Amino acid sequence: MRLNDRTNKMKLNTSSERIFSFVSYVLMTILGMICLLPCLHVVSKSISGGSAILSGQITFWPKGIQFRTCSYILTQTGFITSLKNTLFVTIVGTCISMFTTITTAYPLSKPKFVGRKLFIMLYVFSMVFFGGIVPAYMVVNTLGILDTYWAMILPFAIVQFNMFVVKSYFESLPESIEEAAYIDGASDGQTLVSIVLPMSTPIAATVSLLYAINYWNNYFHAMMYTSSPNMRTLQVYLYDLINNGQAIMENLYGSAFGSSVGVVSDTNMTADGMVAAAVTLSIIPIVMVYPFVQRFMIKGITIGSVKG
Amino acid sequence: MKRLFVVLLILSCVCSVFASGSKEASSASNFGTALKGPGNVTLKRLGYNVAFDVNKDIIVQVTKQATGYDVEYYALPAQNADEKLLMEVASGKDYDVVNLTVDQWRTLVSNGALQPLNDLLDSYGQDILKGNSAETWKALSDEKGTIYGVPYMYPYGTEVSSFMVARMDLLRKAGIQEIPTTLDAFYDMLVTLKKFYGDQYIILAGPYRNAAEGSQALTFPRIISSAFGIYNDWMVEDGKVIYLSEHKNFPALVSFLAKCATEGLFDSDWAANTTSSITEKFASGKAIIACADRNLAQSSIPVLKSNLGLTDDDFGFISALEGSDGTCTYLESTAINHVSAILKNSKNASDAVNWMNLKVQNQLFINIGVEGIHFTYDTDGSIKPINPIFADERGNSYYYNDVTNEAEFKFEWPSRIRKSAAQWLAFDNVTMKTNKERPEIFVKNEFAFMPASENMAKYNTTLLNSINDFVLQVMSGSRSVDDIKTYTNDWKNNGGEAVRSDLAAYLASK
Repeated sequence: MRLNDRTNKMKLNTSSERIFSFVSYVLMTILGMICLLPCLHVVSKSISGGSAILSGQITFWPKGIQFRTCSYILTQTGFITSLKNTLFVTIVGTCISMFTTITTAYPLSKPKFVGRKLFIMLYVFSMVFFGGIVPAYMVVNTLGILDTYWAMILPFAIVQFNMFVVKSYFESLPESIEEAAYIDGASDGQTLVSIVLPMSTPIAATVSLLYAINYWNNYFHAMMYTSSPNMRTLQVYLYDLINNGQAIMENLYGSAFGSSVGVVSDTNMTADGMVAAAVTLSIIPIVMVYPFVQRFMIKGITIGSVKG
Repeated sequence: MKRLFVVLLILSCVCSVFASGSKEASSASNFGTALKGPGNVTLKRLGYNVAFDVNKDIIVQVTKQATGYDVEYYALPAQNADEKLLMEVASGKDYDVVNLTVDQWRTLVSNGALQPLNDLLDSYGQDILKGNSAETWKALSDEKGTIYGVPYMYPYGTEVSSFMVARMDLLRKAGIQEIPTTLDAFYDMLVTLKKFYGDQYIILAGPYRNAAEGSQALTFPRIISSAFGIYNDWMVEDGKVIYLSEHKNFPALVSFLAKCATEGLFDSDWAANTTSSITEKFASGKAIIACADRNLAQSSIPVLKSNLGLTDDDFGFISALEGSDGTCTYLESTAINHVSAILKNSKNASDAVNWMNLKVQNQLFINIGVEGIHFTYDTDGSIKPINPIFADERGNSYYYNDVTNEAEFKFEWPSRIRKSAAQWLAFDNVTMKTNKERPEIFVKNEFAFMPASENMAKYNTTLLNSINDFVLQVMSGSRSVDDIKTYTNDWKNNGGEAVRSDLAAYLASK
């Protein structure tokens, strides 16, 4: 009798689980489509013919495939310069940020560090309160780094939240391993480099990724602290292109490049197509890197959450 | 140790006093700096946002060839441009020339950030002074007549910027051979098209919100309201400032629009249409007639030519329509596009003015090029560009203009439209034709040079949105023309009288 009751209960659970799974799959598919289809639309526009774009024929597949728009973006606009600037800022900035974060988090993770509570309080205070755009600009101006890469890197040199995450991780490491190193005569620096950091690879990778995404996506600092056109980052370049696409098209008509790609016949390039091409080209580096950092990205989303 | 600390503290205080003193001295010496001359100084120019690298365009070399000056170009961002400009000026940036919008210029003037230019223009800017009208200089001066900027005027004030483009192939099929020039003929044309094609096509797609109009865009075509004598939201009639809704013909205009909407002559999406949707509807062949400007013509006409095998003759352009009593008014778009000014922090003020003056002297060469290489003169004396070299080597010259000789540039500028065959087709058939056949329709904008008033900034956008909503509601049938009395009360409560008093005061002061 009891075995029958249990079997009946299992069958019910299996049915309801199946329904639940089905509904979940359908909902996730819909959500996935909502995320994916706009991307498909933009990619399709980037390689479609101008007449198809202007007459609203592009949905999720390209029509009148042509690559002249992408060619124009790569060769005639400042795309490569902007990409180079963004790569430099991201790579150098991430390295500097990881250095400052680790060297700040490690001493703060030690209870014996004199003034630890005061420093933690200062970091928390600066995390909560921001001085404002104008004081920040004045600081950057006074340092003499306006219109340089350092203006886009140094203001982000350390993110307090990331530092606290790394500090928490360091605190969770077993003290006995570090004590063993001290007994063997290692200094604090040697312990950090030889013992702690190798054990902290997961958190270092995750925080590095967070910093890299921050630098890559940053628009405001690049916009505010740079004036020279050759210092534009990718995000600033994209924003300028979106705002001035029509003006670019006006100047293309009649030009030699325009003639060579058929702009004289005005059927191959459009402002919308140019913007779509620039956006598509700018996400290629991210798409190439993402498969290798996906697990760190997922971990980064849940980092700092409360665990049971 | 303590004594050393005290000595260091005193020294730092003393140094800061000297530093501030020397800063004041150096800033005082910026006024009326001696002319260093071309080749002896590198000027710095800050302009508005563009997508291309402003230091790499060929115009940089062309300008250097014409003036002899080396110049570094900088650009404001597309977003938060005003904030960035103020921060750069406040932090002491020493740009020599800043190319500003009128609002940005007014802000810097009110903050005392700009150099007075009277003496500099007298010494080094005679061509600049002679090339612009007295009214323009008055708009850029304070009450004492001190000039704080040089103007870049909109090159073609008598442009019919908002017009309609029609598919003549479809019109001819319906038995219409000519483009209408009067309101009655326009209505008859719409009715004929509706009878012939039914719901197969959108008869008239609109309204096209011209980007130049920005927040001043009206929800009905100006070339229709022209037939009723209505040319702007604020107008001057018999010396009095009146609002659009107070014009004697406003009820007739709204009734006409409602009649066309009710009879299905207008696009059913009239209230929701955007410039993109109208472009799409016309370029895809869904609409027979579209409210347009040069940009729509440039983008959609070649698409239709390519997709449907149409030719230039298959496009007709409808300009400002005439009422049955001969009334036809269209607003002249005379305005200051940008103002170039010199910051107080500039160390090369004399050279900056000299540079701008040399650019005016060489205006034709910098903007249009060399005759025989970049352009020729057409049979009617107008300038005809030689493409592709004109577009390649002079395409972006508009960005580098600080000031022009107004009269000469009005003659030169249309050649720049001719880069695009489609734009020229529209411009020639609308603006050039109207200027030739009906130049009297253009009404001067009495408020073109009016400084921004607090009431204008506070209320005008609300008033415009309110009148647009009213017109759309009458067109949709949810309100009647008779509700205009109720609307007028709302208008008064929304600050209409406050704005009117500012405009009237300005008019009286002219």
